[in-house]
Amino acid sequence: MILTPKMVARIALIGMVGVLLQLSFFSQVELFHVSPDILPALVVCLALLGGSLTGAVAGFSIGFFLDCLLVEALGVSSLVLLSVGYLAGLFRERFEIHNSLLPALLCMGFTLGAELGFGLIQLLLGLDAPVSVLIIRDLLLKSVYAFFLGWPLYLLVRRALRPALVEEPKVRRRRRPKALGV
Amino acid sequence: MYRKQVRRRRAVLALLIVGSFVLLTITYGQGSNGLQRGVSTIFSPVQGVADRALKPARDLVDWFDKTFDARGENGRLKSELAKTREQAVAGQEALQENAQLRKLVKLDGSPALAASAYQPVAARVIARSPTVWRSSVNIDVGSGDGVHVNDPVISGAGLIGRIASVEPGSSQVMLLTDHESAVSAKVVPSGVQGVVKPEVGDPETLILDFIDSTKRVHGGQTVVTAGWCAQGLCSFFPPGLPLGEVTKTSVIEQAIEQEATEQVDVRPFADLRNLDLVQVLTGGSRG
Repeated sequence: MILTPKMVARIALIGMVGVLLQLSFFSQVELFHVSPDILPALVVCLALLGGSLTGAVAGFSIGFFLDCLLVEALGVSSLVLLSVGYLAGLFRERFEIHNSLLPALLCMGFTLGAELGFGLIQLLLGLDAPVSVLIIRDLLLKSVYAFFLGWPLYLLVRRALRPALVEEPKVRRRRRPKALGV
Repeated sequence: MYRKQVRRRRAVLALLIVGSFVLLTITYGQGSNGLQRGVSTIFSPVQGVADRALKPARDLVDWFDKTFDARGENGRLKSELAKTREQAVAGQEALQENAQLRKLVKLDGSPALAASAYQPVAARVIARSPTVWRSSVNIDVGSGDGVHVNDPVISGAGLIGRIASVEPGSSQVMLLTDHESAVSAKVVPSGVQGVVKPEVGDPETLILDFIDSTKRVHGGQTVVTAGWCAQGLCSFFPPGLPLGEVTKTSVIEQAIEQEATEQVDVRPFADLRNLDLVQVLTGGSRG
């Protein structure tokens, strides 16, 4: 990805809209008693298109903005989402994304990882109440929602960042020159 | 060139990780800071607009979710309705009797009636924490509307939590299901007292703990806030706010302390997952 100031502004805008959408819409709707969390999936999409550095910085910034708006302790979401962004970007740098299902699957896996990460940090900071078994349902359903939301999200983000993407030109098979008279 | 890129990438990553830990160390348990207040003040109106604009879409998704739930609830609600009718008739009689008794023992003006000093302020939920590990919502009223930290917050069904932090135009509500939440409560009519705490990850169950096991609690009994006042200190919550209904009781033997405590599962009256309009009880007596 070629990062110009215009593209950085566009990524920042995507992050802000994502956080506002999460807080005002996705966190407040439920399907089967669980709300979707699109932010890890959004960070994964940015990382898959921009690489590990873009993913890490986007994850940190989105987490920071989220904690600011929720008036929570700063740093928790930043730490989790920057890890998600860095690892997703690293995946993109090491492996080719041939399968069109892969972004959605990565969104699913990293959302599960992010929720477990949140839980781990919360446990380390001290959890003052028992944990219900139902939390497993919550984590799994959040990952499934991330799978279904991840694909359209990836397409939208890719469309928004298209001018900055370095795409390899499609290799056209050259027609073999025919010998005259054959 | 490639090595330089890798080094730069690692340096940025290390900087971000260290930055996260520094932020966490500085701000954990400190409440809101100037930066958060600033961001919150700027984005509260935007969140308010987004909340209103996205309400139809939220309602549509809720409709799907509730249609699934409604099938199972129909039978349960019918039997509950019959039971509630009986209780309503009994309640009317009790209300009359209660008014007469209060006059008799001159309870007016006592701490138990501190609830009457509260001024309700209506608010709309504008944001909700996305992760299951935290349970908080942001509302569109703040210090400018007379809201203070620790003010109780209720919905039409009962208590939902208390104010955790306040900004000029918005506030954060710590819900009953947040792991840091604890409310002193009592079971009526038995009068058994305890502390209501959440079970993280299960928004439909609260746990009433620290109960004297010699007293019995039964399913279906109502749990309300205890609202105690002692030696000048008062609970954040006025007495008598409905919290939930007892669904299950179990006795836990404490091996170390050689005594048994009863643990009661309580289903909150308020639907803590679907909050739209709430009321903040401002003023009143606080501890």
